[in-house]
Amino acid sequence: MKTLEPQTRVTSKSTLDQRGLKSQLTELVKRSGADYAEIRLEDSRETALSFMGKNLENVSEAHLYGGNVRVLVNGCWGFVTFNSLDELEERVKEAVRNAKLAARLMNDKSVLAPITPVEDTVRLDLIADPRQVSLEDKISLFGGYNERILGRKGITSSAIRYFDRCTRLYYANSDGTWLDRELMDMGCGISALAVKNGITARGSTTQGGRNNFGLFRNLESEVDQAAKDALEAVDAPVVKGGTYTVICDPHLAGVFVHEAFGHLSEGDNIADDPRMQQVLKLGRKFGGDYLNIYDTGLDVGLRGYLKYDDEGVPTQRTDLIKDGVLCGRLHSRETAGRMGEQPTGNARALTYRFPPIPRMRNTCIGNGPHGKLEDLIKDVKEGVYALDSAGGQTNGELFTFTAGKAYMIRNGKIAERVRDVTIGGNVFDTLRNITGVGGDYHVRDGAGGCGKAGQMPLPVSHGSPHIRIKDVVIGGK
Amino acid sequence: MVKKFTENLTSLCDAFEMFKASGKTTTVAFENDRLTEIRQGESAGVSIRAVKGGKIGFSYSSKPGEVDETAAAAIRMAPYGKPYNFAFAPKQKSKHTRTYDKRCEKLNVEKLVGTCLKVKDAIKAIAPEAMAECSLSGGSSNTRIETSGGQDCAEQESSFSYAVAAKITEEGNFLSTYRFRSGNELIDEDEIVREAQEAARDFLLARKNAPVKAGKFRVLFSPDALIDILMPIGVSVNGLNIEKKTSRWVNSLGEKLFDERLTLVDDPFHEEGPSGGLYDGEGLVTQKRALIEKGVLKGFLHTLSTAKACGHEPTGNAQRGVSSVPMPGNHNIIMAAGDVALSKLMKDCEDGLYIDQMLGTFTSNFLAGQVSGNVSLGYAVKGGERIGRVKNCALNVNTFDLLKGHIVGISKEREWVGSAYLPWVLVEDVSISAR
Repeated sequence: MKTLEPQTRVTSKSTLDQRGLKSQLTELVKRSGADYAEIRLEDSRETALSFMGKNLENVSEAHLYGGNVRVLVNGCWGFVTFNSLDELEERVKEAVRNAKLAARLMNDKSVLAPITPVEDTVRLDLIADPRQVSLEDKISLFGGYNERILGRKGITSSAIRYFDRCTRLYYANSDGTWLDRELMDMGCGISALAVKNGITARGSTTQGGRNNFGLFRNLESEVDQAAKDALEAVDAPVVKGGTYTVICDPHLAGVFVHEAFGHLSEGDNIADDPRMQQVLKLGRKFGGDYLNIYDTGLDVGLRGYLKYDDEGVPTQRTDLIKDGVLCGRLHSRETAGRMGEQPTGNARALTYRFPPIPRMRNTCIGNGPHGKLEDLIKDVKEGVYALDSAGGQTNGELFTFTAGKAYMIRNGKIAERVRDVTIGGNVFDTLRNITGVGGDYHVRDGAGGCGKAGQMPLPVSHGSPHIRIKDVVIGGK
Repeated sequence: MVKKFTENLTSLCDAFEMFKASGKTTTVAFENDRLTEIRQGESAGVSIRAVKGGKIGFSYSSKPGEVDETAAAAIRMAPYGKPYNFAFAPKQKSKHTRTYDKRCEKLNVEKLVGTCLKVKDAIKAIAPEAMAECSLSGGSSNTRIETSGGQDCAEQESSFSYAVAAKITEEGNFLSTYRFRSGNELIDEDEIVREAQEAARDFLLARKNAPVKAGKFRVLFSPDALIDILMPIGVSVNGLNIEKKTSRWVNSLGEKLFDERLTLVDDPFHEEGPSGGLYDGEGLVTQKRALIEKGVLKGFLHTLSTAKACGHEPTGNAQRGVSSVPMPGNHNIIMAAGDVALSKLMKDCEDGLYIDQMLGTFTSNFLAGQVSGNVSLGYAVKGGERIGRVKNCALNVNTFDLLKGHIVGISKEREWVGSAYLPWVLVEDVSISAR
């Protein structure tokens, strides 16, 4: 595989000039006068297109360019963002002023967990580079899918969006870390919409990743399935509300573990709150012996892959629940420092406009001993088989998510289609109520992302085998 | 370059629209009783839509001074874009004025931190076991839109917002009661502290749990929860869903769809409203318009493009950030007040539920009218009084049915929730699932 230099697609010289940047930035963070300082500069190019119905609704190229300074003085933060690099030194001073002010008013002290500084250059290593695919080809590829959907009898409309974004990131901190990184991110969402008797229903498929444009090719059967799903859903009844045994497919189970447990594991929820530390005490039993949950930045090609986080900490696989027992959490240097634990490489910032905070990467339920879908389903008298996801939300203890499609389960078999299946629950009860974990782990990315503290959509992944959960509340008629 | 590229835009493309925005914000945040952030942000950008050969291209840049390159990229995108079958905004001038508060330009960080500390003390005085959260943010922004149609409008806006919360996370009980408001003027510290006290009082009430069984209930929705219930109306009047025929109201203008007590007006000029403005995201003058009047569907939200596609008049509802193409959206949604005092509505709720916050409803099938989600903060009501928090229950309603024949009463009192000004609404026959 070859390493590619980022291409400049706008006519002027607009990429940051790396020569001299390293010495300039490392010098600035060293003599900032703060206890700790870091500078991040970012230069992103994005190509995006979207179809809505028969129209190519939008085709665009965007250039995102800017940076930030973050400093720590006497344990208090100052953070400044900017678009222009002209007055970097003044920005550093501004951040230091704010941090000093905070330090004067507060007796609270943040401590950063120590790290070994790294100096590294990370270049793209792509299987198929989206920048080598012409805009015409992209339009023709996704336009082909769009025509396929609209050609289907009974389909009212469609929605397709695709983007690829190539980012050059420079990062220097006063501990001596210097990173010059390239990142690629791609995703597409394809939906078919059917309207009948005032009911609108949707069928969807998604793809995404960091290293292979090929993922977006040859999606004809997935696209046909999305159209079929919309047509089936528009005729299906709304699920009858009640308490059911639910079997989640790997995609929905992945959304569940992200919403229900991933967010709870983020260190900023825990570090400042002694009661939360009691709730999430390491060693506590959270589920059956067959329940394993982890978050990893190591899966090359996934949208949740990262070599380093946005504090320059190398990423890793972090076990959160092992054999049903809580064993870890997702840390930034700050949350690790406050808790006396090790950083895990989970500090991430959506763009230069935000400070890094603990976020997920690829959050997974590991394979379990309960076989395949057929094995999990066979003893379920009446239940719901829920697949794919229309999104979800959590407040830490309670969660809601909606299945992309769903069927009733009757007498151990998949039965009729139902629509609008929204699952609500209590995180702790639901983890205890996982009665089966299959051995068919699967992960598939989409075009969306995770939202937290106004930072949305952050590229993440989530994977799982099929899982079975008892006593799930489903809202319905 | 002898002459700036953009000065030649008219000769290089058939039509164009240039949108420039810049802004400054200051944010101070307290979480879990401690100051976590002092953030100062500066942002700027330019986006251009250019027409060449009858098609539209779009490009955006946040790099200072990169206007020519952005224009060139937009022209390069044009051959692939969608047909230009409408016209960019013509020269026009708004007759309205809007509040601008210069104080938002340079917020005193030290004073903001002081307000956070007062909020913390106020919450602790009422609910000592609660952890306090307070986020204050404000700033100013400038936008300018120039089009080949002759429009050149600029607008300066100020903004300020607060969010305060009392929270606890303990075994079997995660609770956060909050209050928030955004406006276009600096908000008095007194109001912020007063609202923090309200949040703390709610916190005390919600510390007690009350049982709930699945069934049909009378439900009093707070303005915060009502916004979730109104979402299906929002997506159904959106011009894009009218154009694509995915809204069920494509041919319903003038039809009575709801209870006649339901009136929703989109008001870009409301003096307290955080959204809105004199011009929309395409440079059209904005208008105050009814969407639903006495239960009758009166209007849609359009961009120039969706209006043209539907054969409707433009409505001045293009919403956009500098990095995105304009999409239809509302300004400030004002719902007409009812004629019942909130205290009376609470009495009339009898042995029902008071729902204040919902979770994850945005995943619902809004176009079908469905609103489903966990009740993240709700209270059991007994004999017209809130007696404690209900948990582990989910709501599932169809807005199109619920607001047609199930409204019991609407309060005289209203509150701002983001850019919506809403009353409390009491409805009956609401289906609740619970374990």
